[in-house]
Amino acid sequence: MEVNVISNDRDLYSEEFSINMGPQHPSTHGVLYLDLRLNGETVIDCVTHIGYLHRSMEKIAENRTYTQFIPFTDRLDYVASMNNNLCYVLAVEKLMNMEVSDRAKYIRVIIAELNRVASHLIAIGTFAQDLGAFATPLFYCFREREKIIEIFDEICGNRLTYNYMRIGGVQSDLPKGIDERIKYFIKYMRSKVDDYEALLTNNIIFLARAKNIGILSKDAAVSYSITGPNLRASGIKWDLRKDEPYLVYDKFKFDVPTGENGDAWDRYKVRIEELRQSLNIVEQAIAGIPEGPVTVKPGRIYKPPAGEAYLRTENPRGELGFYIVSDGSACPYRLKIRAPSFSNLAVLSELVKGVKVADVVSILGSLDILMGEIDR
Amino acid sequence: MKHYLKNLILGPISLIQGLIVTFKNLVSRAITLQYPTQKQPMTPAFRGLVDLRPDKCIMCYQCVKICPTGCLAIRHEESPEKKKSLVTFEYNMELCCFCGLCEQVCPTIAVYMNKIYEIAVYSRKELHINLLSTDKYAQWANPTVK
Amino acid sequence: MLTMMITGAVVLGFISFSSMFLIWWERKVSAHIQTRFGPMRVGWHGVLQPIADAVKLLLKEDIVPCSVDKRVWWLAPFFVVVPSVMAFVSIPFGKNLIAKDLNVGILYIIAVTSVGILGIFMAGWGSNNKYSLLGGMRSAAQIISYEIPLILSIVTVVMFSGSLSMQKIVEAQAKCWFIFKPCLAVAFLVYIISATAEVNRTPFDIPEAESELVAGFHTEYSGMKFAMFFIAEYTNMFIISAIATTLFLGGWRGPLLPPVLWFLIKTYGIIFVLMWVRWTFPRVRVDQLMGLAWKVLTPIAFVNLALAGWLLLK
Repeated sequence: MEVNVISNDRDLYSEEFSINMGPQHPSTHGVLYLDLRLNGETVIDCVTHIGYLHRSMEKIAENRTYTQFIPFTDRLDYVASMNNNLCYVLAVEKLMNMEVSDRAKYIRVIIAELNRVASHLIAIGTFAQDLGAFATPLFYCFREREKIIEIFDEICGNRLTYNYMRIGGVQSDLPKGIDERIKYFIKYMRSKVDDYEALLTNNIIFLARAKNIGILSKDAAVSYSITGPNLRASGIKWDLRKDEPYLVYDKFKFDVPTGENGDAWDRYKVRIEELRQSLNIVEQAIAGIPEGPVTVKPGRIYKPPAGEAYLRTENPRGELGFYIVSDGSACPYRLKIRAPSFSNLAVLSELVKGVKVADVVSILGSLDILMGEIDR
Repeated sequence: MKHYLKNLILGPISLIQGLIVTFKNLVSRAITLQYPTQKQPMTPAFRGLVDLRPDKCIMCYQCVKICPTGCLAIRHEESPEKKKSLVTFEYNMELCCFCGLCEQVCPTIAVYMNKIYEIAVYSRKELHINLLSTDKYAQWANPTVK
Repeated sequence: MLTMMITGAVVLGFISFSSMFLIWWERKVSAHIQTRFGPMRVGWHGVLQPIADAVKLLLKEDIVPCSVDKRVWWLAPFFVVVPSVMAFVSIPFGKNLIAKDLNVGILYIIAVTSVGILGIFMAGWGSNNKYSLLGGMRSAAQIISYEIPLILSIVTVVMFSGSLSMQKIVEAQAKCWFIFKPCLAVAFLVYIISATAEVNRTPFDIPEAESELVAGFHTEYSGMKFAMFFIAEYTNMFIISAIATTLFLGGWRGPLLPPVLWFLIKTYGIIFVLMWVRWTFPRVRVDQLMGLAWKVLTPIAFVNLALAGWLLLK
């Protein structure tokens, strides 16, 4: 077994020490294999191995019709399924030049923003758990996420993989009385976000673990094509909902929070502020929703004209993109998914050079990746 | 030096703020249910297992064609008077992804999704269900619906 | 001779009963902080859960990995449990309820509990496993560093009470508990923080950091040996809370109820605060831990000691 010798002094001989944060580990988010090489407690190098969750979704898509592939997109970023459905359906509608009714657009915005809240809750909860606040913020976040999931259960029938969006509309209209429940949830959630801030944001132990850890400079962020809250925490104000508005996002007033340094604390703070802004969007959307037809019954086989289309939307984790090439038949010729966590993970091996082992976990938690997207 | 003293004062204050939040949760009522003595009712739209009303089925094969994973299998026969009747209607629960497309595409609402969600079995054969038999879901409890 | 054996049996019985109660208490407190119920099935609200846990651990197979250093690995649990039990000799449970009122009481307790670090280090080394080694070495560094503020805060109390014997410290608080005097309030805070680090509880539980090193120095232990580590942790928690009660909160003094009850109420109150802190805060990193001990707690303890001496001389 070869060893890498660090110092060959006769009095202080030291070697590299390699640790596998292997595929099964309590704090890599999913099946991720990190091969860390250490010098004592400091990390010298980190090699990332992915592919343990590969399910060949892009190849399966070449044998399924466009409606049949929607349940598969749920399972990409399984924490925020509605956003994945939305991006795929918008890409197919762009390929077919289809317009949807206004009510469908408002419903899609409400559902997408509620799912963004749910996804950020998991990001915050698991980040706090990785740092050692074992389970308490996580339980609080899951308690709030349970309320969102119950709302989705009433709307579409499933709790995690929804299959709600359809090409041209949504699966079914909102049931009666749901807007009272959503309004009550918004009020309840606003008080709980203040609780999380009191528990974590200015806590001196949390600051010592997250401030100035894993600083991502603006140039590095742009050159690694990082998107989403990680990019905004480094100081670049880029949000697809404001810069290339899709659906009806240009009708709502909301801020795009940015950070200053690009460290782990900034990424956490940006997510908390985005939570609040998403609640604002849902409130405005519920107040202004128009009437109209929304339901699309499945069964029609869509045959888009031959051509290609690429569409990107703002997922909670970054920019999700679908590139569809159609040759005129019922199944796509090629479907390519641009996953946000894939690019976000690539910057890990640069960020961990020179930090302690405990910080590797902290940086990985703050990047907020999900293996379902990376491996597809 | 100033930084050191500032941290010394602000640190304990932030810690006490966190302790107050936890204490408020400590004295409030717990929200979990004691399963299996207390269960939650399902919503009307909940997608459980695929179920069939055999007298309404017109054997159009739409559900078989639309299923993304191919878990439904139908065979029918035609009598000389051009009357169709179902021979088998098989449902492979291992492949089902509970997407609900078969329920939405059926023109006569013969295929629907019931509310059963507690499906633990001892062998894989029990997951291949013949939806035409009368005791297809007898071993699993039917939960309450809101 | 007979009284010695009866005392020994009573102390051991109390230790096991107390550990079992603490196991249940910790699970209930942590559950309610997280808005859930905790153990509810075994007995009324899960009171018999520790008995179920003990039976399970007794029935488990004792797995000995083949590449461990046999003698060191086998002896480690004993070196962790025995010092904790020995410290019960001079803890004052009531007015005359003390096994032996040594005239160097508090010094004896500190000396004996410091031997427990040997056990942790032996467990880490003997397991022949990278993760356990890291956990054991971190723990050794942590415990040695936090001994100093601990002892300095205790010396402050000894200055005020004039004696090292535990009963005399309690009697010196006849008029006013030591925690209400200004220098000693600071000493109390320093003591509580150092003592939490001594027993490896969050926010200083790096040796058992679950998200990084799976289980730290006791990864390779199973069955009854693991139970020994577990019991030793809760016994240590009891000992430091008992010392805090005796030194700062007036020991067994109190108006109406019998002294034993007051002692137990105060001790379990401090244990409740320790558990409350555990389930709220994240973990401190290793080098920050050392920074806290050497750069914050030790200077504060020294300054406090000097101030207390000056106040006494006036």
